[in-house]
Amino acid sequence: MDRYRIMVIDDEKIVGDMAKMSLEQEGYIVETFLNAEPALVRLKEEKFDVVVTDLKMKGIDGMEVLRTVKRLYPETRVIMITAFANLDAAIEALRGDVHDFFPKPVKIKELKASIQRALSKQK
Amino acid sequence: MKNIIGHLKSILGLSRTRAGEPLSFKAGFNRFREVLDTNNRALEIITEMGDKLGGDYLFDINYIKRTYSELSSAVFSSIQSFDSLTQNKYPQIHGAFTRIDNQINRLIYDIVSSHSGMVVFYEDITWDMSRDVGGKNAHLAELKNYLKLNVPDAFAITTRAFDEFIKQNGLNEKIEALGKATAINKSMLDTLQDLIINADFPPELDSAIEKAIGKIKVRCGGKCFLAVRSSAEEEDSEFSFAGQFETVLNVPLEGKAVKEAYKSVVASLFSEKAVAYLNRLGYDIRKFKMAVGCMTMVDAASSGVIYSTNPDGDNNTLIINATWGLGKSIVEGQTDADLYMVKKDLSPEIVDIKPGRKEFMIVNLENGGTGKVSAPDEMIGKPCLTTGQAIELTRQAVSIEKHFRKPQDIEWATDRDGRIFILQSRPLTLPSVPSRQGRGEIRGFPSPLEGEVEWDAAILMKNKGIVVQKGIAAGRVFILRHMDELDNFPKGSILVSRYDSSNFVRVMPYVSAIITDMGTPTSHMASLCREFRVPTVVNAGNATEVLKHGQDITVNADDGSVTVYDRVIRELVESSAINHMKMEDVYEFRKKRYVLRYISPLNLIDPLLDDFTPEKCKTMHDILRFTHEKSVTELVDSAKYGSAMLKRHAAVKLDIPIPAGIIMIDIGGGLNITEGSDKAVFEQIISVPLRAIIKGIMHPGVWHSDMVLLKTKDFLSSMMRMSDITMDASDYVGFNVAVVSKEYVNLSLRFGYHFNMLDCYCSENAKNNHIYFRFVGGATDIVKRSRRVELIAAILKEYGFNLKIKGDLIIARLANTRQDEMENILEQLGRLIAYTRQLDAMLHDDSTVEQYARNFLEGRYEL
Repeated sequence: MDRYRIMVIDDEKIVGDMAKMSLEQEGYIVETFLNAEPALVRLKEEKFDVVVTDLKMKGIDGMEVLRTVKRLYPETRVIMITAFANLDAAIEALRGDVHDFFPKPVKIKELKASIQRALSKQK
Repeated sequence: MKNIIGHLKSILGLSRTRAGEPLSFKAGFNRFREVLDTNNRALEIITEMGDKLGGDYLFDINYIKRTYSELSSAVFSSIQSFDSLTQNKYPQIHGAFTRIDNQINRLIYDIVSSHSGMVVFYEDITWDMSRDVGGKNAHLAELKNYLKLNVPDAFAITTRAFDEFIKQNGLNEKIEALGKATAINKSMLDTLQDLIINADFPPELDSAIEKAIGKIKVRCGGKCFLAVRSSAEEEDSEFSFAGQFETVLNVPLEGKAVKEAYKSVVASLFSEKAVAYLNRLGYDIRKFKMAVGCMTMVDAASSGVIYSTNPDGDNNTLIINATWGLGKSIVEGQTDADLYMVKKDLSPEIVDIKPGRKEFMIVNLENGGTGKVSAPDEMIGKPCLTTGQAIELTRQAVSIEKHFRKPQDIEWATDRDGRIFILQSRPLTLPSVPSRQGRGEIRGFPSPLEGEVEWDAAILMKNKGIVVQKGIAAGRVFILRHMDELDNFPKGSILVSRYDSSNFVRVMPYVSAIITDMGTPTSHMASLCREFRVPTVVNAGNATEVLKHGQDITVNADDGSVTVYDRVIRELVESSAINHMKMEDVYEFRKKRYVLRYISPLNLIDPLLDDFTPEKCKTMHDILRFTHEKSVTELVDSAKYGSAMLKRHAAVKLDIPIPAGIIMIDIGGGLNITEGSDKAVFEQIISVPLRAIIKGIMHPGVWHSDMVLLKTKDFLSSMMRMSDITMDASDYVGFNVAVVSKEYVNLSLRFGYHFNMLDCYCSENAKNNHIYFRFVGGATDIVKRSRRVELIAAILKEYGFNLKIKGDLIIARLANTRQDEMENILEQLGRLIAYTRQLDAMLHDDSTVEQYARNFLEGRYEL
């Protein structure tokens, strides 16, 4: 069986590292990026089933990532995380067809559950 | 006379003698509550941080910054209320706060140390300097300074010195480039190492090293050499880094030689294997700082390694490896050392000795450096430790393990006079089952399936060698003849070699299993294998002959049993392959989490010990503990001046059927009475703690109104002691006073010759609650008085009080207890106060103490 591919983009190394560790435990293939530019380059090469991205990043931000992902792979789900529970950003993100939105710190269990939901909807 | 002064003071309202406006009790009480409130807010933040940083949440540095700033201001405002309550009685608490706050900010904002100089001697290393001197130096200094173990004279060259050294030689850019490179670039590393070896020393560092050498020279009489070894930031704290960096032994005590050695240790940070190791663990080479330790060499008769907990999993024994001369050969895994298994009892006992042959030994050479020589015939095969030494090593290892609260991997040596030295101590990575399954390779772990199934495969090896890391792995045999061949090691293969070597770390991320003919479970490589959870068997005898290069095999290394099959048994491997890498293995996680070390642990545990001081506060939690405890003391002290308060507050008499003679002062919500009333009955007591105590005092049968007759001797002794007793508590005399609020009581009672003082805060929030109980005096002779002390102590202990006893004074404390339990305990205290009122005259011999204590606890109160 092919394993699901998850991409995690966050400008803080710890978020990617922790996410990778916990998601690999679930059997996913996980790739992490510290900013969006190389992540989008990688996305053009290969499809990912779920993209978890920070909302506020220098350069290309999470909304831009969302738009690019949706353009390339409409069925790929995007989960947005952000440092502050910013309501406006959340509303904008949800309007933009985001699968889920989490303020940081994100409970890993909830993120895993959200990813599972995202994957089951793709089937 | 004393009473007159006390009286005058109370008339003038000068209940406090310290400088500054004296606080009214009510104002003081309000400050006290502020301390409680802010402390609680701070403790809640600490709990939340512990939770969010516990590995169940994805968090980032912004979260830590934001939350810590909330914590820091809560603690700060607690200190402000505390200052106001105590009228700045403890100015040192500010120093403690600033020190810890700086420490935390340095971590959070990644501020490079300016804390220490370039060189620090071990005796000057304090607990908060581990970032300056590196983990290894910090650990050893702790053993020397705190546990007073015999650690050779030594100094640390700090991380600040490292920074300066790198900067002075313009190496930052090279390191930056290295950090940015996607793959390990050997030529970049070689260049960097060359530059380091040929680098110049910053003048400040140069002179600091020269000075340190001078100092050591004086102390050792000029005849010593140094061991120069790495002590990286995190080294020996979380990960062992075993054998990753260069150690230069027996360096002559002169500037040039020490500086050369320093450079080669620093250069080793940029070796291929070290960089691979760091990458694997997620370190950023650009931020990695290396301190160095310079320790005088022990002219070792024997040396070795202790595993303070048996890697077999038996917590009750430890193992000692020992060899003649220096221990270098053991940690490099190239000798058949002695193996002692010792029971870790109060009186340790050797359970098993397996002497090794030890035909060779490594010794210090006369002009520096070390050499391998043949052991004299009479020493070959002979155990190199005496029973006494093995037992002493065990004792020390146990104390080190206890101190660091983790099993330790300890390097030691004995000198020619048989004295024991501790050379290094780092956390022992115990074999863990099971582990991750890496990419590409097939690696798994024993499962219940194993043992019940017979595999259709020939067995190549059975029960040979020592299992270092359990596990199941399958792959192609790669027989390593020379270290150079590691460059061609195919991913996923099984490494089979004559010797073990810490160089194997280069292939650690993708080797499926390791089998060596020789080697010990205490070598560097063994530590690394456990760290990387690579199934590993050492000392397997002739694996390099039995197994053929290129052959497919499956290795099953279980508890002490090893089986090697002649084909890949995929089912066996897959049956147990689980990904078990832990969050603790993620470097960034550990690094960010490190901040909690200065926040959560509680070091100030017992307020009755001498080290309950601001200077001993190491964490924010300690500061909160200190301010809370001292706030209670302050409240107790200021409530003592009840007599002064009586002049200023309306006093209300407690009207109960027992002639306790208690006068109450309500400072807020303690009594339900109409204004102007001068007495209150039991039902009108709202104060939760007072109500519980009075309930206890009124409990049927505990208040004995018959006068117990004092014998003439008792009476005389009481007359003589009267002044002593009243001296200590002059303000109580004549009053039984209760200062109350809804949640608080301070009760001073004098019954006959007994003085009870009870201070209690009892609310819904357990964290706020405390009982402080003092009992002093007694009309009888010292023997009976001390029996009473014993009796009360025995009873209070039953209720979980923390006690301090001095003569016939008992101070008992209890805190952090739920309201319902508090009420229950207070009621028991009420009974105890009433019960013991006339008890000492009854305590004729020691056996009666136990009897009355038992009676009381069983609810039988007859005298």
